[in-house]
Amino acid sequence: MPSATLEKALELRSGRERPGQFWKIDLDAIDFSSLQVAPPSDPQIVAPSKPGLIACGLEAAKRDHAEVFNRAFGSVTGTLNDKFASLSAALCNTGAFVYIPPDQSVDDPIEITYTAKNGALFPHTLVVVDRGARCTIIERIEGESAEAVCGIAEIVAAESATVTYAAEQNLPLESQAFFTRAASPGKDASVTWCVAEVGAALSVSRIDVLVDHPGVDAHLNGFFFPRGDQHVDMVSTVRHNVGESQSQTLIKSAATGRGQARYLGNIRIAPHAQGTEASLRDDALLLSPRAHIDSVPALEIGANDVKAFHGATIGALDENLIFYMESRGIEREAAEKMIALGFFEPVVERFPTGMRERLRAALEAKIA
Amino acid sequence: MSERGLRIQQLRAAAGGTQILKGIDLTVEAGRVHALMGPNGSGKSTLAFSITGHPGFKVESGSVTLDGADVLAMAPDKRAKAGLFLSFQYPAAIPGVKVANFLFAARQALHPGDLPPAKFRALLLEKMDLLDMDPSFMGRYLNDGFSGGEKKRLEMLQLAMLAPKYAILDETDSGLDVDALRAVGESVNAMRASESGKDTGFLIITHYPRILQYVKPDVVHIMIDGRIVKEGDAELAQRIEREGYDKIREETAQIA
Repeated sequence: MPSATLEKALELRSGRERPGQFWKIDLDAIDFSSLQVAPPSDPQIVAPSKPGLIACGLEAAKRDHAEVFNRAFGSVTGTLNDKFASLSAALCNTGAFVYIPPDQSVDDPIEITYTAKNGALFPHTLVVVDRGARCTIIERIEGESAEAVCGIAEIVAAESATVTYAAEQNLPLESQAFFTRAASPGKDASVTWCVAEVGAALSVSRIDVLVDHPGVDAHLNGFFFPRGDQHVDMVSTVRHNVGESQSQTLIKSAATGRGQARYLGNIRIAPHAQGTEASLRDDALLLSPRAHIDSVPALEIGANDVKAFHGATIGALDENLIFYMESRGIEREAAEKMIALGFFEPVVERFPTGMRERLRAALEAKIA
Repeated sequence: MSERGLRIQQLRAAAGGTQILKGIDLTVEAGRVHALMGPNGSGKSTLAFSITGHPGFKVESGSVTLDGADVLAMAPDKRAKAGLFLSFQYPAAIPGVKVANFLFAARQALHPGDLPPAKFRALLLEKMDLLDMDPSFMGRYLNDGFSGGEKKRLEMLQLAMLAPKYAILDETDSGLDVDALRAVGESVNAMRASESGKDTGFLIITHYPRILQYVKPDVVHIMIDGRIVKEGDAELAQRIEREGYDKIREETAQIA
């Protein structure tokens, strides 16, 4: 264990908001130094068979694919100077490496499942998609016991590559989840994040896309729905460092019971990034009087020839919508459920087909 | 059978603390078309919402019965189950809820288990065709991004699919072009000609007599300032067309 790296990670500040009137957890006071760390393991990986496609655990990647692996591993998340990413890097005990060779189109998703048990898990998934290649990754984070899981998902997409990375965090309720998900797309590459934060008592995550090349098409989709005493803290950031590229961020959230959430949606357009088109939409639904969501869109626009849009809504279920359904014979409770599930549907539909039914069921279970 | 009909008696109702309906007496008879006309602000929509149970309207006194059943004692969904339908002037947009799923849920709620999904779909396509609606409508989110005409067609589609005993059409004609208006009129007439719709009583609320060229009313009620001030046959609607509401307002001012 490189203890100097760990020491440095432990000292970093989270950069997240301090506790306040509603949010009670101090992310900088969480004790990571005394965690019992699970022994090294490989996740479950299911991948279609394609010429040149690599999908393996980290040990195999270091051993058999050292050149491409070493060049990319940590190359994106390592630049973020993030507390949780640094912790994950220092304590990494599981992970997966996916490589798609040039111009290879992979239709079936590559599925990676992490199962937490016997101690804290620090997974690192690295996806390298070469020039003109295309793939979809489905990552599931589950647990047999309540553990801390502090992970990284990293996408390095070459010129004209297309990659969708969909993650479903569904850890047991007493768990804590910390995830750093960052992508670096090349020229004319398309990157789509789909993130569902479903489980865990505390879910802290960030989603980043670093737009350093023109022609990039970036999509950030996410939802979360704290209920009971769940807390969710999500930050998304699209950095348009060069122009002639576009991004769309769509975040849907609801909270019920005493569920607490904070979302910060950043769009940063650098002064010379002319021709950028960026949109950010986040909608929050409050389903109980004690639930709370702080939703903050933050646009920082340095260039003048750009199109930037943001829209945010927050509120309870609209009585007019409920009445409309009731007037068609649908009982109030069923109407509320349909409207709340419908609220998430636009974002659920952006996830890979095979995930949607499970996500809908998870949402329905939260409303019940 | 003396109790048959949607009977509104001495209905007083308020919105935002202000009394809007000042004692309405009106009976919609099964199988008949009643037109409720009146100038803007006379209380027509308040009547529609009070009968159907919108939470923003408070019934202060009076009664509404549907074939003898006390409507005002029921939750809004129970009123629909009793056979009441409202075509909204401004239908709600509900993102994420698909038209077909919504209609199936509504049909199931009102007529449990009477149509298996395949037959439901066939019936839906048939009714959509009648309303010149493209089948792609089924997969769209309910009223989300719909034009005014599309919304009203969807209201008529629901009317056709839900086959109520009494249907209140609140300004279904407002904002419609001639084609959409004709489609609405034909839809109502087709329903009245059908086995399941021949006994349906209609209360068509309208500001202009336009829609009444397509659907002939049996009775016309004129509402001014929260009261029914005059009743007559289809000729009364013609008169409104010629003279407007002012003359009737003057004539009836002494009575009020």
